[in-house]
Amino acid sequence: MGNQRKHSDSPTQPKRIAKAKKPIYKNQWFFLVMVEIALAIITGMINPRFFTTSNLMNILEQIAVLGIISSGMTMLLISGEIDISVGASIGLASCVTAMMIRSDWGYFLPVVVGVVITIFNSFLVGATSRVFKAPSFITSLAFTSVFRGIALAITKGSFQTIYGKFETIGTTRLWNILPLSFIISIVAYFVVHFILSYTKLGRRIYAVGSNPSAAYLSGISVTWSKLTTFLLNGLFVGIAAIVLLSRIGAAQPSTGSGIELKAIGAVVIGGTPLTGGKGNIMGTFFGVLLMGIISNALNMMRVNPYFQEVTFGILIIASLAVSVLSSYRKGHFSVRKPD
Amino acid sequence: MTDSETLVRLENITKIYGTHKVLDSVSFDLKRGEVHCLVGENGAGKSTLIKVLSGAITPEDGEIYINGNLIRSMNPRKAIELGISTIYQDAELVDSLTVADNVFLGSEQTGFLPFVVDKYRQFQRIKETIDALHIDLPESSLVEELSASQKQMLQIVKALHRDSKIIIMDEPTSSLGLQETEALMEIIRNLRNQGIGIVYISHYLDEIFEIGDRVTILKDGEDMGTYDISSIDVEMVIRKMVGRDASMFYSKKNVPIGDVQVEIRNMAKSGVVEEVSFSVRKGEILGIGGLVGSGRSEMVSLIFGVDKPDSGEIILNGKSVKIRSPRDAIRAGICLITEDRRKYGVLTGRNVIENTALVHNEVFRGPIIDRKSERLLTADMIDKLSISVADDDQKIEELSGGNQQKVIIGRWLLDDAVLYIFDEPTKGVDVGAKEQIYELMTHLVENGKSIIMVSSDMPELLSLSDRIVIMRDGCLVDILENSGVREEDLIRHFVGVDPKMGGTKTNGKPKKTQ
Repeated sequence: MGNQRKHSDSPTQPKRIAKAKKPIYKNQWFFLVMVEIALAIITGMINPRFFTTSNLMNILEQIAVLGIISSGMTMLLISGEIDISVGASIGLASCVTAMMIRSDWGYFLPVVVGVVITIFNSFLVGATSRVFKAPSFITSLAFTSVFRGIALAITKGSFQTIYGKFETIGTTRLWNILPLSFIISIVAYFVVHFILSYTKLGRRIYAVGSNPSAAYLSGISVTWSKLTTFLLNGLFVGIAAIVLLSRIGAAQPSTGSGIELKAIGAVVIGGTPLTGGKGNIMGTFFGVLLMGIISNALNMMRVNPYFQEVTFGILIIASLAVSVLSSYRKGHFSVRKPD
Repeated sequence: MTDSETLVRLENITKIYGTHKVLDSVSFDLKRGEVHCLVGENGAGKSTLIKVLSGAITPEDGEIYINGNLIRSMNPRKAIELGISTIYQDAELVDSLTVADNVFLGSEQTGFLPFVVDKYRQFQRIKETIDALHIDLPESSLVEELSASQKQMLQIVKALHRDSKIIIMDEPTSSLGLQETEALMEIIRNLRNQGIGIVYISHYLDEIFEIGDRVTILKDGEDMGTYDISSIDVEMVIRKMVGRDASMFYSKKNVPIGDVQVEIRNMAKSGVVEEVSFSVRKGEILGIGGLVGSGRSEMVSLIFGVDKPDSGEIILNGKSVKIRSPRDAIRAGICLITEDRRKYGVLTGRNVIENTALVHNEVFRGPIIDRKSERLLTADMIDKLSISVADDDQKIEELSGGNQQKVIIGRWLLDDAVLYIFDEPTKGVDVGAKEQIYELMTHLVENGKSIIMVSSDMPELLSLSDRIVIMRDGCLVDILENSGVREEDLIRHFVGVDPKMGGTKTNGKPKKTQ
């Protein structure tokens, strides 16, 4: 019966809904662009070397890995889930891949194994969260320890160097200027944008993040939608791990640690709330860029690296404050009416 | 009785939600040592009135006098200080603490060591109260081990320990069996003799005639008067509860009714719905009436695959369909427009197009979204249901309640279905939108669809339904042909008063003791 269904009344004459005319400055990313321009100008005035082509390209290269991770994280946060084990997962995957390359397994197989590991890891985080009805924050916190521990066990804590063996992906500069890794991250952004805006999966991600009960009653399987999102997230983490390994030329269990916080921060600064259901990739792109510029600016201004850590933490708190305050303004946080 | 005997006087209380007057200048008073009952249909304003008295909400207008003193701003804490206790149907108790701990929660008794609770002293004090009431309530057992009626007793004990002079009981017997109800009645008499004033709310009219001294009747937020129980009978109470003018009724077009299209056979889930069977014909609107908690919405969730029934079969157009999830139901041609649109309907933060095309894209389309077609379909639906929308990126929560409801209904109209289930289709919807939703439903049945409509709104039930299924305590008790049925007939069926018997519960409280 289902297949024979048709529209009850196909529109005879196309009608229109007014196209939204949202002024560009009302987007959260526009605000980010302004901040970024201001930061760049200030840094440039203090240290003119900021505006050299080589420095700008360095920024793009530095944010490539963060960008790929943040793309996957954007989908995950919109679906109402989170994965803070991505840093540990990168550590594990890059160690395994590096060890396989060192033992002359070629390149293809180690890369595939690395990516499969991160996909599986992310799936584990999502599946345990669904099965045990625990927040993915908690399951991913637990798996952070598991992944890191396995990486330590197999490497015995040692450095896995592959200098000169696997550099193409991470260090190639197209036309001697543009980093290949940055292009890869751009592709990641576009893929996520396509998924979110043009596919059924994208609609499911928004729907389960916005109102899981309504999604379920509309025929969506909440569990499968979320698990698919976790799998995709794992894929992006895997690609990021490979790019990172190729750029650094070595791996150790602590590789990637702390990057999950930066990625979540970039996504939230870009306007995706931790509560899910909202957000877009444009915001994430500029959120990642902001992270890159701040990091670079702090280096340029010779700020103590320890204080850089402090800065990122405060930045993430500030972005949370902004997102909460903007929902206050819209009245979403109004006290529940006594009824 | 003299005026010093008056514990509570509420004068001209008015409460407004949005544009809707939930209470319209209602007056109420309670004397020492009396049981004053409040009756009215679902949504008549009983609960709102007691919330005003217990300080949970602030009325727009009116005065509250407690013991003769005007109370300017009432809040829950002040209400407790003034000796007002409310006993809710779903008890607000801490399950993991003992009976005694719950009674003394917030005012724990300490011994000679400060900060250390003196359990023995608590037990002693509570035992006196329990013995005085002649009830069975072990003071050291955990609340989670108690039965529903024991929890209710516990709340009464708690109220007495707070030295309450005014006790409000909201549907206290709805989860009690027959014997437990009797025991509760005994306690109420006991309390009354101690000079405590009791506000008693119940759907069961026979209880009111058994225990009450006076009764105040509410209808659509209006005060229909206060009567001595001895001067009034069940028939008269029912007549006061209903009887609206014709303007509240919608005159539905006559739609020819065809063959049976939908059959529900022996749908059951233990403790919730018991063996319900009925059928819906082509072009028919089948109304489902009953009190809140009679199992109407639960039965609908069983049909739509949200809950798993213990048994039951659904037959659409002569073919038995297997439904294990809403997705199966939708594919088979069943739609459910839920009651709580905020909780189960709208995708907050998403625009009107995504909200409208949700089911269409999910169930009937491939993996890639056809953005042009969903846009056209939405535009068409907006036009057809006259939904006012500013532009294509307007978030659904920015629309009015009526428009939101129409978007949710529109979601189910993009594709053809066989059976449309409406659960409270016009709850929280303004009058204009109400009319449009009724027209839309009529249009659906004209096109040969079947509709099941769950509704607490009497005029709605009576003006739209071709037949009315009556549910009570999870059972289907009757199916009425809707010709010449009056509001009072329905009420009588809902509460289980047999017109010939006068005031007895014909099918009172079946096996709902757990």
